[in-house]
Amino acid sequence: MSMFTQKMRMLTSVVMDSDREKVVKALLEKGVMEFVHIGTLPAEKMQKLSQHASTVPRAALTDMRIRIETLLREGSVSLPDIEKTDIDNLPSLDMEASRRALDRLSGSLDTIRAQQREINQKMNFYREIIRYSSEKNDEYLDLRVGSINHGDSKDLAARLDAIGGVFLFSSKPLVSLTLRRDSARVSDVMDKFGWTESTDAEAQKGAMSEAMGEAREKVRNLESELKALSEESSKRIRDKADDLCALWVNVRVNELCEHVESYFSYTKNTTLFSGWVPEEDTDTISKTIYDVTGGRCIIEWTEASQVAPEEVPVSMTSPKILRPFERMVDNYSTPEYGSINPTPFTAIAYLCMFALMFADLGQGFVLLLVGILGTVYYRKNPLKKDGLISRYLCNLLLYLGPASMVGGILFGSCFGLGIFPPLWFDYEAVVAGEPAAGLVQSVYDILGITIKFGICVIYLGLILNWINLVRKKRYFELVFDKNGLVGGVVYTIGIWFAYGFVGSGYREFPSAPWFMPILLICLALVVIKGPLGYILGRRSGKPKESVGRVAIDTIMDFVVEVLELFSGFLSNTLSFMRVAGLGIAHASLMSAFYQMAAMPDNAIASIAIAVIGNVLVIVLEGLSAGIQSLRLNYYEFFTKYFTGHGIAFEPVGLKSRIVVD
Amino acid sequence: MSRVSDYAFINAKLRARIGIIRSSHLLDEMIKSPSLAEAVSKLDGTRHGHIAEVYRTTGDLQQAELSMMEDEIASYREIASYLPAHSAHFITVLLEKVEMDNLKNALRLWYSDVVRHHIISFRSAYVCRSLIVHSIDYDKIMNAESYQEMIRAFSGTPYEAVLSRFSLDILTEKGLFPLEIALDHLWFAHLEEALRHLQGDDRKLAEKIYSVDVDLKNILMLTRYSYYFHLPHDQLKDVLIPMGYISSEIERLKAYESDDPMAVIKGIVQRRYPQISEEIAAIRGTNDDLTAADENASQILRIEAYLADRRKSEYMKLLVGKPFSIGVVLSYFFLCKGEDSLVSAVLSAKNYKWSETKIREALGL
Repeated sequence: MSMFTQKMRMLTSVVMDSDREKVVKALLEKGVMEFVHIGTLPAEKMQKLSQHASTVPRAALTDMRIRIETLLREGSVSLPDIEKTDIDNLPSLDMEASRRALDRLSGSLDTIRAQQREINQKMNFYREIIRYSSEKNDEYLDLRVGSINHGDSKDLAARLDAIGGVFLFSSKPLVSLTLRRDSARVSDVMDKFGWTESTDAEAQKGAMSEAMGEAREKVRNLESELKALSEESSKRIRDKADDLCALWVNVRVNELCEHVESYFSYTKNTTLFSGWVPEEDTDTISKTIYDVTGGRCIIEWTEASQVAPEEVPVSMTSPKILRPFERMVDNYSTPEYGSINPTPFTAIAYLCMFALMFADLGQGFVLLLVGILGTVYYRKNPLKKDGLISRYLCNLLLYLGPASMVGGILFGSCFGLGIFPPLWFDYEAVVAGEPAAGLVQSVYDILGITIKFGICVIYLGLILNWINLVRKKRYFELVFDKNGLVGGVVYTIGIWFAYGFVGSGYREFPSAPWFMPILLICLALVVIKGPLGYILGRRSGKPKESVGRVAIDTIMDFVVEVLELFSGFLSNTLSFMRVAGLGIAHASLMSAFYQMAAMPDNAIASIAIAVIGNVLVIVLEGLSAGIQSLRLNYYEFFTKYFTGHGIAFEPVGLKSRIVVD
Repeated sequence: MSRVSDYAFINAKLRARIGIIRSSHLLDEMIKSPSLAEAVSKLDGTRHGHIAEVYRTTGDLQQAELSMMEDEIASYREIASYLPAHSAHFITVLLEKVEMDNLKNALRLWYSDVVRHHIISFRSAYVCRSLIVHSIDYDKIMNAESYQEMIRAFSGTPYEAVLSRFSLDILTEKGLFPLEIALDHLWFAHLEEALRHLQGDDRKLAEKIYSVDVDLKNILMLTRYSYYFHLPHDQLKDVLIPMGYISSEIERLKAYESDDPMAVIKGIVQRRYPQISEEIAAIRGTNDDLTAADENASQILRIEAYLADRRKSEYMKLLVGKPFSIGVVLSYFFLCKGEDSLVSAVLSAKNYKWSETKIREALGL
């Protein structure tokens, strides 16, 4: 892991056109290069270069890949591991033949669906009959029991089937159960066969239950057929899974090659390409290109320092263990090239904040357990979509659980009960107002601890900012910015002032001979920031402005900066009181639930209340603590040193995210 | 309760959902899919996810559409449950429109059976039978042998009075169109009443949006039924919805009493909606010859496209307007309805194996 963003170098290479495909595949296998268009050559040279001409349009490849993925998903088949494929020996891609194969598979699925539809419609019809009977709406049904004088009962059944109903024509008397709304149509058909209604009352009575039994049997059979067809559609895809996976790999590799080659430029016999590579991978990339081309290549490396910093992509290397926190940083923004990697600091700050807000050994263990179970579940079901407890949340809980458990040990809390002595102080006892020994005796002391914690976090943010500014050689900002040295000094004397005031029991402000001179020097630095910035800007070629404009800007900037300096730092620091607030709320809620649990005489009710209370606190407080920790990191910590002006490094490799332009 | 507390939660909830709908490429992906099965699978992971499941289990698009309708009903109920009583009542009136579409389907099936003598067969299963707003006996509708028996299915509902104004003879002679129009008018009357019960900004916003909505519907009816189907003026009067600017101007200027009522109505539309004045003016009062009919049809399509855009922009304006109002709710329903209709249309088109280009042309995408 590097404390700072990874150093980058830009590769520019010329290879023979005949080696192009091998080079592209080798670079894709390495997956450490972000390609850029060659745009820095003089215009007359650029004119001599031609752009990549696709044999197969990339959009067509993308469409086909999406199509295969859709079919694989339909059959619950996972995508193959492309890295395990020998991409050098892939068969050539025949788009037309592949499309035909996919059409055939897709067409067979449509055929199955058409069969399903037909069955479903029949089932709906029988269900309507069954429903009318079970809801005692017999007036909507038309039951007939009788015999025919001429013709064949099979012919009659075939004609009546077109209308719909249950027909028991295998034994006598014949039974017909149809819908009353179809009576006229049924009568028309029956008349042609000389239907005579039976006068046997017993036969009439038993006919309804017999017909209903038949209808239910038909529905059961149709349901089985429907299920079998549904399974058949998945099976058809699974039968073709190997072909589909092989085709997917081929299409994906071609798509990636097309994507990479779209950055290339060509002369008659050579290919020119360029891209960013992390410094630690430069030797590997050079060797790969040399090996693949047999030395028929030219490779040039450009240092990142020779390029404008905002054009250099930013790569952060954090250990795998810090991945969930890297995502938090990514969600915020990408740091500038060359600045400090915020991930480890975010991890420490986030976990400390969470542990202080949600300190409980037992509840932390529950969080850890949920994290473990969720992770195992998602590993076993890789195609499963994220639920309310997403993959990321499960991963994060693997850290938050232990953090909470450590907090619980420090404050002697397990499911809100003080069943073991605290390592630091008894949080619940302090919140409950019970007499406590040691330095922490009241909730004000807890608030004080979190404010001190906040001061440490803000100072850390300022120090990280100063390191970033020194590395970027932005000395003007280092001195004059509100998050620079001036800001640091103002914040320090502010803290001294506040502590002096609080220390006197809120009776008098502290005084010292150095206080006013330092404050005035700081304010003077804030005042001269504008004019000095203007003078330095003029030297570096910025446009001239009138004296009046500069003066007004200086006054406005001074007012805003002073307000931001004082109110900003004050609010940032006091914002950390929420850490105590959430912790106190956690202890209070647990205490309230246990008091409620003690009320009923019934032990089962008491246990149920205690369990429900714990579940509610774990869900609601856990969520609040997680959100508030993130908020404190984003708004109180990151704003001190994280400018977020960088562009993320996105190397193209076989495992790259799906590339769609 | 303040407006903020009334609407803060639902505003945040619906804006998140609207964001998902607006950023979705679902329709584009569905249209691009080469087969129906592949188009359906694009619904996985969207709010229509279980429709895909219904289709996989039954292979029946109409069954899937019924499921979509049930979702729509659930969505209206869910949102109404988060709103204060007066706004919730308004949402219930909007839900009545869904109920009316459902009962129109039931009536069409009954009509098909009793008047046209076609077998309903399994098709009755695609009518939603559960309670939507009013207690209607759908089984009775579809099994009624006479018109009077059918009306009894609506006993105790506001629809009973409307249905009583018609008879089997009238419907046999004129079809279901006059009955459907009468039901639409009933709904608009309910809407007007519900608008009056809304409060403050909610009322202003809803009145504005539905006034434009009704105007646009009236223009559509004018262009379709007057210019295209040559409905006589006295019948046209019964067709137009008695709400909105156009209807009130027709009333104020006594257009039907003039020598050339259509010229007066044209003038009213052109004054209010000058963007379509050229198309309105170009429509000829006759389609005796095929050229005129074709030209009229294309003008009407252009007018419809404009009206659809105008309607969309009116609803989109609500999203950038007052956040703690009923506006975001109305926009959400509009977007959902739009997406639902398009999803249904694309699935039907895929079922009939229409090409991508033909689908895009037909849907104006």
